[in-house]
Amino acid sequence: MEIPGILIYAMSMAIFMGIYAILALGLNIQWGFTGLFNAGIAGFFAVGAYTSALVTSALSANHLGGLDLPVPVGWAAAMLVAGLVAWPIGKICLRFRSDYLAIATIGVAEIIRLVIKSEGWLTGGARGVTKIPRPLASDNYALSELSYLALVVIVLFCIYLLVEKQLKAPWGRMMRGIRDNELAANAMGKNIERRRLEAFIFGAAIMGLGGAMLAHYYRSITPEAIDPMIATFLVWIMLILGGSGNNRGAILGVVVVWTIWSMSEFVTDQLPEEYAIKAKYMRVFIIGLMLQLVLRFRPEGILPEADQKSAQRRK
Amino acid sequence: MKLTHLVVAASLFGSTALVANSAAADVKVGLLGGISGPIAAMAPPMIDAAKLAFAQVNEQGGVLGGQKIVTVVGDSACNPQNGVDAASKLVNVEQVTALVGPHCSGPVIAVANSVAAPAGVALITPSGTSPEITGLDDKGTVYRTVPSDDYQGRALARTLVAQGTKNVAVAYLNNDYGSGLAGAFKAEFETQGGKISGYAAHEEGKASYRTNLAELSRGGADTLVIFDYGDGSGLTILRQALENGFFTNFVGGDGMKSDAPIKELGAENLTTFVASSPMGEASSSLDSFNKAFTAAGGSADAIFVANSYDAAFVLALAIEKAGGDKAKVPAAISAVSDGKGEAVAAGEWKKAVELIKAGKEIDYKGAAGDLNFDANGDVPGAYGLFSIDGESFKLQTPMN
Repeated sequence: MEIPGILIYAMSMAIFMGIYAILALGLNIQWGFTGLFNAGIAGFFAVGAYTSALVTSALSANHLGGLDLPVPVGWAAAMLVAGLVAWPIGKICLRFRSDYLAIATIGVAEIIRLVIKSEGWLTGGARGVTKIPRPLASDNYALSELSYLALVVIVLFCIYLLVEKQLKAPWGRMMRGIRDNELAANAMGKNIERRRLEAFIFGAAIMGLGGAMLAHYYRSITPEAIDPMIATFLVWIMLILGGSGNNRGAILGVVVVWTIWSMSEFVTDQLPEEYAIKAKYMRVFIIGLMLQLVLRFRPEGILPEADQKSAQRRK
Repeated sequence: MKLTHLVVAASLFGSTALVANSAAADVKVGLLGGISGPIAAMAPPMIDAAKLAFAQVNEQGGVLGGQKIVTVVGDSACNPQNGVDAASKLVNVEQVTALVGPHCSGPVIAVANSVAAPAGVALITPSGTSPEITGLDDKGTVYRTVPSDDYQGRALARTLVAQGTKNVAVAYLNNDYGSGLAGAFKAEFETQGGKISGYAAHEEGKASYRTNLAELSRGGADTLVIFDYGDGSGLTILRQALENGFFTNFVGGDGMKSDAPIKELGAENLTTFVASSPMGEASSSLDSFNKAFTAAGGSADAIFVANSYDAAFVLALAIEKAGGDKAKVPAAISAVSDGKGEAVAAGEWKKAVELIKAGKEIDYKGAAGDLNFDANGDVPGAYGLFSIDGESFKLQTPMN
């Protein structure tokens, strides 16, 4: 009896990890490879989640959309719309350098979140969108978790391959060049503004896909899900801890952080009953502590970026 | 250098993998609450109230012929990510028989859709008030012991119009709670012939709401209806509206019925403030709950505590009725409080068990109301308008 239960929990944990890994890969394109400090992940995540929700759910009086289209169309639309939303934002904000860009993107994400919460005719407001179909769902709990997990893994794998391929291509080398020495890249005649915009949109589209996949997992999306703590900063911690600039590091960071985030509750539950409620804050503390330790002792993350210089020297 | 980091990482990993193995003879119930999220101040008393119900059950002989109910607390943090993750842990790893909670509506919807309904595990939320919960495709697993926001908003609108208040401004917190309540209030108030001269959402946690209030008061209303939490931004709004004299009368929803305004602003300044709240109709259930909860060190006036107690107690009854069969618990919940059968009040566990053993129908009359679940797992409300008398809230008029 106990074993299937633990397996189902492992699957649901893996689904979350897969979805957060997609978000982390999106951020890795922006921060890890291009050096864009995007602190507005929640915004693109939300755009993707709501786009797919509105496109694939049934007609409802509470919100717009209800096109009842197949889920893959919803996911494609999520990427497209998240990318489209990123375009004007990038156009305006990417002129800012690191810290200023972070502030601008936090602001943009908050704007998106408030629009979603306030414009009830569009998004259902605080009530959110419910009755979103989940692909491959069946009446069997374990089976529907397993099939959704398979779907998440396939999508994650495709995204991983896509990002890896793009970064090994001349485009990827150029992006790192821009990140590490903008002046030199400029002198080489690279169109820096345009390239950064490309990376920003590419990353945002992937974040939108991650949001869409989470909405379909919940079969619902409400504004609580796009809280910056859980949708932006947690992803940042995952990427920094795992190793920005390294896609496998990003995925490893997700696995480590989510494992601690989720499983630390079992440990804190061992504390005496009078601490049961206080103990729930432990995981927030542990995550913060881990970030501090990693930044202090290993700022490049668990799996650092492959050293490009030595790679070139070998050639 | 590298090695030490790996050791640190590995030990952190290892420490999280210590999963508890507890004895299986007891009946486990999951208490899922928004402990570390935006309702962190409200969650602990609610969890205590639910624990009180199970403690009473255990004292009076336990369930299923002597088994104890054991609770496992999960933290939903008031967001679906943590909610689903915590629910998955409770249902799959801890193998709980049923869930009390989550507290916030967003996690309730997500947990119902992706854990409770697929696993066939009953879920009773004591405070998820979103109207969306009514229509969930939940295979009958989702119940709540608190009425939908629709109900309170409409009842409050009818009561105000009946009392002669025809022109109000509405300030509501921009979340599912505030906007759900405000939307229902507005619709009913206008149907009843009232005029809403200002209607605006606000965000929580701001230092000043004076511009919002100035804007709202421009419509000429002297009554402000606030749908917010009295220990959060609702308090700030109330204080600033009083300080600057934007409005003279104040009406709050159940979130405003908190001790914080009395403590912070003083009862003498709140003579024109009323709050609607579930009134646990004066019943023996409510009395016995109040007494027991006060004796256990809780504040019986805290919000949603009676609902939490009811959720836990009705769940214990359902577990007894279903014979401990997890799959039969959801159906048993509506069977033990459907308005038919012999009345059972809060805390009357022994009596209930004897009736169930004798094969009789029972009808649990809760501390927060009679419950009487409908086909969607919703309960009708028993709401009253409370005013401040001395240092606490006192029922002014019932609302219907």
